[in-house]
Amino acid sequence: MDNILVAEHITKDFSKHRALDDVSIAVPRGKVYGLLGPNGAGKTTLIRIINHITAPDSGSVIFDGHPLTAEDVMSIGYLPEERGLYKKMKVGDQALFFARLKGLKRAEAEKALREWFERLDIMSWWDKKVEELSKGMAQKVQFIVTVLHQPKLLIFDEPFSGFDPINAGILKREILRLRDQGATVIFSTHNMASVEELCDEITLINRSHNILSGNVRAIREQFSDNRYELSYIGAPDAVQNLGFDAQLAGINADGYATATVTLPGPDAVRPFLAAANAAVDITAFRRILPSMDDIFVSAVQASNQYSLQNQEQ
Amino acid sequence: MNSGLGIVIAREYLERVKRKSFIISTILVPILMVALMVAPALIMAFSEPESKTIAVIDDTGRILPRLENSSEISFVDANMPLEAAREDGQFDAILVLGNASVERPGESVKLFSHGPLTMSTDSYVTSQVEDAIESIRLEAYNISDLDKILEEVHVDLSLTVLDIDKEEDSATSSALSYMLGLIMDMMLYMFILIYGQMVMTSIIEEKSNRVLELVVSSVKPSSLMLGKIIGVGLVAMTQIVIWLGIIAIASAWLVPFLAAMPAASSEPALMGVLAQLSDTGYMVSLVIYMLLFFIGGYFFYSAIFAAIGSAVDNIQDASQLTSVATVPVILGIVASMAAINNPSSSMAFWLSIVPFTSPMTMMARLPFGVPTWEILTSLAVLYASFLLLIWLCAKIYRVGIFMYGKKPTLAELIRWAKYK
Repeated sequence: MDNILVAEHITKDFSKHRALDDVSIAVPRGKVYGLLGPNGAGKTTLIRIINHITAPDSGSVIFDGHPLTAEDVMSIGYLPEERGLYKKMKVGDQALFFARLKGLKRAEAEKALREWFERLDIMSWWDKKVEELSKGMAQKVQFIVTVLHQPKLLIFDEPFSGFDPINAGILKREILRLRDQGATVIFSTHNMASVEELCDEITLINRSHNILSGNVRAIREQFSDNRYELSYIGAPDAVQNLGFDAQLAGINADGYATATVTLPGPDAVRPFLAAANAAVDITAFRRILPSMDDIFVSAVQASNQYSLQNQEQ
Repeated sequence: MNSGLGIVIAREYLERVKRKSFIISTILVPILMVALMVAPALIMAFSEPESKTIAVIDDTGRILPRLENSSEISFVDANMPLEAAREDGQFDAILVLGNASVERPGESVKLFSHGPLTMSTDSYVTSQVEDAIESIRLEAYNISDLDKILEEVHVDLSLTVLDIDKEEDSATSSALSYMLGLIMDMMLYMFILIYGQMVMTSIIEEKSNRVLELVVSSVKPSSLMLGKIIGVGLVAMTQIVIWLGIIAIASAWLVPFLAAMPAASSEPALMGVLAQLSDTGYMVSLVIYMLLFFIGGYFFYSAIFAAIGSAVDNIQDASQLTSVATVPVILGIVASMAAINNPSSSMAFWLSIVPFTSPMTMMARLPFGVPTWEILTSLAVLYASFLLLIWLCAKIYRVGIFMYGKKPTLAELIRWAKYK
């Protein structure tokens, strides 16, 4: 697979703890890649290493086919979690400053900025000082600054914190649009709902270790425990008596009922449906995929238990 | 990435120059300075010259005729006994010359005054009485043609100091050079305190505004540091150039006014100063060296301030650490005073090599002539340590980004340095 970024066996120590322990990730080009994990897991440290802000103690980072150098940050757009702007500086001047730091010429930076300001409908802020903006408004400016130089790789660390749902929606739309234009996005968050919406691939980091990586769909399949939901019309207990591990989930006055069933495996779907079809009128049948939230919690707990056992041994 | 440096400099410069505080201080300071220059001149112009009348009770009858009046001090015959003169109160002082004044002046000459006299009055009266007694004593020898002999014997020397190593006579007026060095020292001190701290604050501000991570993901910390130091330095230059302009305009209006006043132009010392100022070659090289040390000194110390800014998270923590920078500056100025008294001593030499004190010491020593190799060595050490500090500071800065960052070990610093 064509990976824009490969980090291999990254280890980084701080005085009191190990922030990253032999973490490897591979980010496929043109995808949205989720970097997940509880607070303090090491996500931000990994992102800083990718941004060439800090150096790993060991391990290597390959960017676009070559070892990462300081020049590569020009091809990266980074929206840090700890983000702010110069308070006394005017919005337009400030955006120009950051755009030029990323290597844009003044004229092209100004042109691109005006396009973005128009698109996000904030043109009237151009001559305002940053201290006059609300937090959400400032975040919009930071977002523009991050993406303006059309980087190959975009890194967003908790991009939605501080945004109202409307603006968060605009941001999601823009992130997906950038991906469709060919950018790769690394997306670090705790917000699992947005992961399901946006991410193609994820890596879950817990306690400095990479505990889960892969395609979002595949991971959800992997974590699904073969649970299905059947909606039907018929006797409420008809499904429970078919000899499968089924439970009545709900019934309403019209005689519509819903049951959840846990099957031994995908092979059991056809026999179950055949039996159910004979017993009731099926209105809907779907597989229940675990939410990323559930996967996150169970994976983190499993890994914590595993490391706890290791410690005890 | 090099263009990043220029962009950082431009931002630091423009953002400061556009601020109201810059504009206000740029206008106010020269007004204050002009006021300081004009006020004493005006006071002098409009107040009566202070003259003192000293009543003389001359029991010998021979000294009073020989006392000469000056523009400020006039001797008059009291024509009354001491007690009456004391009661009288119209005299500023009473000079009593007892009978034995010529033989034993230490016992017989006394001066009564209301409160302490000024140093100049004291010394003028003393020298007048001494001269009078000396001439009376000389007369006692009955030497013929005494006046003529004295005139022939009298020597009035003004020493011409020449450099051993140079053929031509490049007389250096040490008074002017001393003043120049002193003024540059004081300006450097102010410069470091005001603008060095500005560099520090600017770095801390980025941390508290949380802009830092956005900035360091686009520009090398070393470029950022250097950009801040140069940007703020340019702000200082701008301010000084504006001030000099205002002062020049003000003096163009003021100087004819001052020159018109009596007793301002005929000072021989002033003539010497003007003569030296017109020795252009000497002055140009002196000023260039001084500027190099000035800029180097500012760079070096603002790099220390930058390092402090990198290491701390807020202004409160920084204020304690700033003494790390201010104490050596003050030490440097004190050391430069010592160096003035003995510009060629080995202490002066070493103080001129150590970058902490070299800008200040060299300011003081340069006017007295310092060997070129010594100047160049000192400059090289100063600028090299500046670059080293910037580099070190960039490392501290990167580690300082993580509040829980471990202290860098030497091995780590080396690894950092290699990390491209």
